[in-house]
Amino acid sequence: MKKRNIILTISCIALLALFIWYADGSFDSYQKRILNLCAIYVILGLSMNLINGFTGLFSLGHAGFMAVGAYTTALLTMTPESKAATFFLEPIAAPLANITMPFFMALLLGGLLSAFVAFLIGAPTLRLKGDYLAIATLGFSEIIRIIFTNTQNITNGPLGLKSIPNFTNLWWSFGTMIFTLVVMIALINSSYGKAFKAIREDEIAAESMGINLFQHKVMSFVIGAFFAGIGGGLLGNLLGAINPMMFRFILTFNVLLIIVLGGMGSVTGTVISAFVVTSGLEYLRVLDESINLGFIKFEGIAGLRMVVFSTLLMIVVIFFRNGLMGTKEFGWDKFFNFFNRRPFSKKGVGQ
Amino acid sequence: MTLLKTDHITMRFGGLTAVKEFNLEINKGEIVALIGPNGAGKTTAFNMITGVYRPTEGQIFFNNQEITGLKSHDITKRGMARTFQNIRLFKELSVLDNVFIANHLHLKANLLQAVGGKMYPDFLDKLWQPKYKREEKEILEKSYMLLEKVGLLDQKDEKATSLPYGLQRKLEIARALATNPQLLLLDEPAAGMNPKETNDLTGFIRQIREDFDLTIFLIEHHMQVVMDISDRIYVLDYGITIAEGNPYEIQNNQRVVEAYLGVSEDA
Amino acid sequence: MTFDLFMQYLTNGISLGSLYALIAIGYTMVYGILRLINFAHGEIFTMSLYFAFYGVTVFSMPWYISFAVAILMTAALGMLVERAAYKPLRESPRITIMVSAIGASFFIQNLAIVLFGGRPKAFPNVRLLTGVMQIGAVSLQRLTLIIPVVTIILLYTLLFLVHKTKTGMAMRAVSKDHETARLMGVDVNRTITITFGIGSILAAIGGIMWGAKFPQIHPVMGVMPGLKCFIAAVVGGIGNITGAVIGGFILGVGEIMLIAFLPNLTGYRDAFAFVLLIVILLIKPTGIMGEKISEKV
Repeated sequence: MKKRNIILTISCIALLALFIWYADGSFDSYQKRILNLCAIYVILGLSMNLINGFTGLFSLGHAGFMAVGAYTTALLTMTPESKAATFFLEPIAAPLANITMPFFMALLLGGLLSAFVAFLIGAPTLRLKGDYLAIATLGFSEIIRIIFTNTQNITNGPLGLKSIPNFTNLWWSFGTMIFTLVVMIALINSSYGKAFKAIREDEIAAESMGINLFQHKVMSFVIGAFFAGIGGGLLGNLLGAINPMMFRFILTFNVLLIIVLGGMGSVTGTVISAFVVTSGLEYLRVLDESINLGFIKFEGIAGLRMVVFSTLLMIVVIFFRNGLMGTKEFGWDKFFNFFNRRPFSKKGVGQ
Repeated sequence: MTLLKTDHITMRFGGLTAVKEFNLEINKGEIVALIGPNGAGKTTAFNMITGVYRPTEGQIFFNNQEITGLKSHDITKRGMARTFQNIRLFKELSVLDNVFIANHLHLKANLLQAVGGKMYPDFLDKLWQPKYKREEKEILEKSYMLLEKVGLLDQKDEKATSLPYGLQRKLEIARALATNPQLLLLDEPAAGMNPKETNDLTGFIRQIREDFDLTIFLIEHHMQVVMDISDRIYVLDYGITIAEGNPYEIQNNQRVVEAYLGVSEDA
Repeated sequence: MTFDLFMQYLTNGISLGSLYALIAIGYTMVYGILRLINFAHGEIFTMSLYFAFYGVTVFSMPWYISFAVAILMTAALGMLVERAAYKPLRESPRITIMVSAIGASFFIQNLAIVLFGGRPKAFPNVRLLTGVMQIGAVSLQRLTLIIPVVTIILLYTLLFLVHKTKTGMAMRAVSKDHETARLMGVDVNRTITITFGIGSILAAIGGIMWGAKFPQIHPVMGVMPGLKCFIAAVVGGIGNITGAVIGGFILGVGEIMLIAFLPNLTGYRDAFAFVLLIVILLIKPTGIMGEKISEKV
């Protein structure tokens, strides 16, 4: 990276830190919750975009990876007492009952376990293409959910986990978000990331240029799952309670919505879209709830929020096929070129 | 020295035999052409040799090692690269990236080193430079050199599909060269080129053979190019090898003439 | 396990399998013609139940009229979905169309929640269908026999339609190649619309019989059957109508037998389909009756 760009990037991060410091002290818990969710959805969006947008694999298994991360992190951070209280139907399996570790370790293990699961799933399914891959990954994600519903002494079955310590705060979520962003940008600009894009563009040509398709697909899938697991872990410890029903296909759909709206194959697009969609979905909750203005009362209609959002998705897909950013990115160099270019110079508009 | 040898390779698709018992021998440094009417099985033969299809029967040897049934990325790694009849560039990527990616197979840095190297700031390079960054610099220099060779350096940042057809063919050749091949397979390099580009092509192919110490195997319909450039020619018709020899022999071969023009009643 | 009990399970499995088969046909036909997983098919199925429900309860129509109207309305809905969500994207990459399909599915699902409320409703009871009859020691709902019979009749009607009529010929032509079919004078868009219509009619017939058998309807009820029936279509060989029916039967019987023989795995009932899917994709990705399609290089 160039010196100027590094300085600019670091100043931006510093500004963000200043903002978080301010927000942490002055925002109410509802606003903080939304900000946390936005950052977590950036992580989730980036991880899915790596698999779907940059490598061109149509994977619909994100909810499954998130579930693995969320459950692992939650189980590793809950205190033995709260575990005993939560598992009242059937006691928790022995080794898990007394383990409690720092949030960072738990989060990392959640990501690693999710990556491992992705490796196991990827070995058979990544030989499939297109729609078949989509439906197989969706199938695996559902299988994970069904297993979690039925393993009473590990996951507490359909009741889920409660009193998960609320470790996720703005520092954790935004810190992880920045980390994910930096790693993703480095990855997609590296030779490996270019190989991923080559696979997206043309598998046969990529293989003929010596790229081991299967190995690189597994790589992308596993890295994506790692960050999805971490995102899931942050989410679980933000909400304080998780259950298998949270990890249905609709969760994958939410993340898919973000990357499609932002642009498949654009990091910048994902970040913007994660903030817009997540806060939008939260603020639109008013559609589902009743509003009482004193003199007049609007009845909320459950489900209207998702109707609005699916309509939005359809409109974007049909009329703005490439989403907000397409595969374009924001970069400091581009930013400066935009201001430096002169209208009549040879290299200017349209280059 | 024999570089590529096929021993009775056959490709059947269901009941259809696309190529039957094809025997080929290419020596180091040669330019060999494969010709034949449309649907004769030329591209199928290419696809078997480069590992896109696995031959139904027969064996393929490259550098005296058997490569039958290997995946195409593995075959490329062993020193064989190709272009495609219907141009398969990485369409949405830049001209430079197209060539850059073809270097990936020789990359020594692993995933973590690559990601780490990308995050490492430039101004600390003087103290210590990560392995990946050194490699990336070499790859970039090599890519620029290749693009210069094919005359595409000025368009390096353009999208691959924005190039005119003839230049897209040249970019495909540059991309194939980036894999460091010993043997280069060209599938109809003159297709879609205008007469001037076609004229230049012969010189260009000879030039890259000299510069990169290549052996070349090509499919081509443009007879002038084929006769001009080839040391030897193989002729396929309905999957069967009907002739083999130098350009003079092929031009005067009765079966070849019949295959192209059809047999007249009183001949 | 006694023979009678086994027969009871088997007939139940066959009738569930028949329902899966009817829905799976819709998936397989659409996939055959557009190479698209019609994610909204499960929701079309759900809507057919609501149409039938409102026909009987709110508009107090006799059940047979209400069911007929529901079938027609479902067909119209299926064609509308195609027009709105898929037709504008005919030339787009597959991934875009699939996102649109998923979007359409969620749209209908949530529209159903908005319009009909999230609480389950009781599907009207039709004595003619739900009455119990006795065969030897086995007592069965009439439906258990009616469902497979209806399915087989519909399968043969459909096979006749596809292989012996002009419309069927058009469908087969479009499924091979849109452009060539158009040049041969086939109205491609009309053929696709008809395919969606037929698929939706079958989903509606399946839906109504489903409602009679499991008389509780709610807006997201179509999700699981939808996924499972797509799996049935893949297992049978996607694009192949007979394959879809075979896949449906395998899935239905397999699921019931799993519960019958391994009762402690009952919680994994819904996982059965997905495991079957993955096994099939690994052994024979083209399914039982499918043909191999390879990419031209």
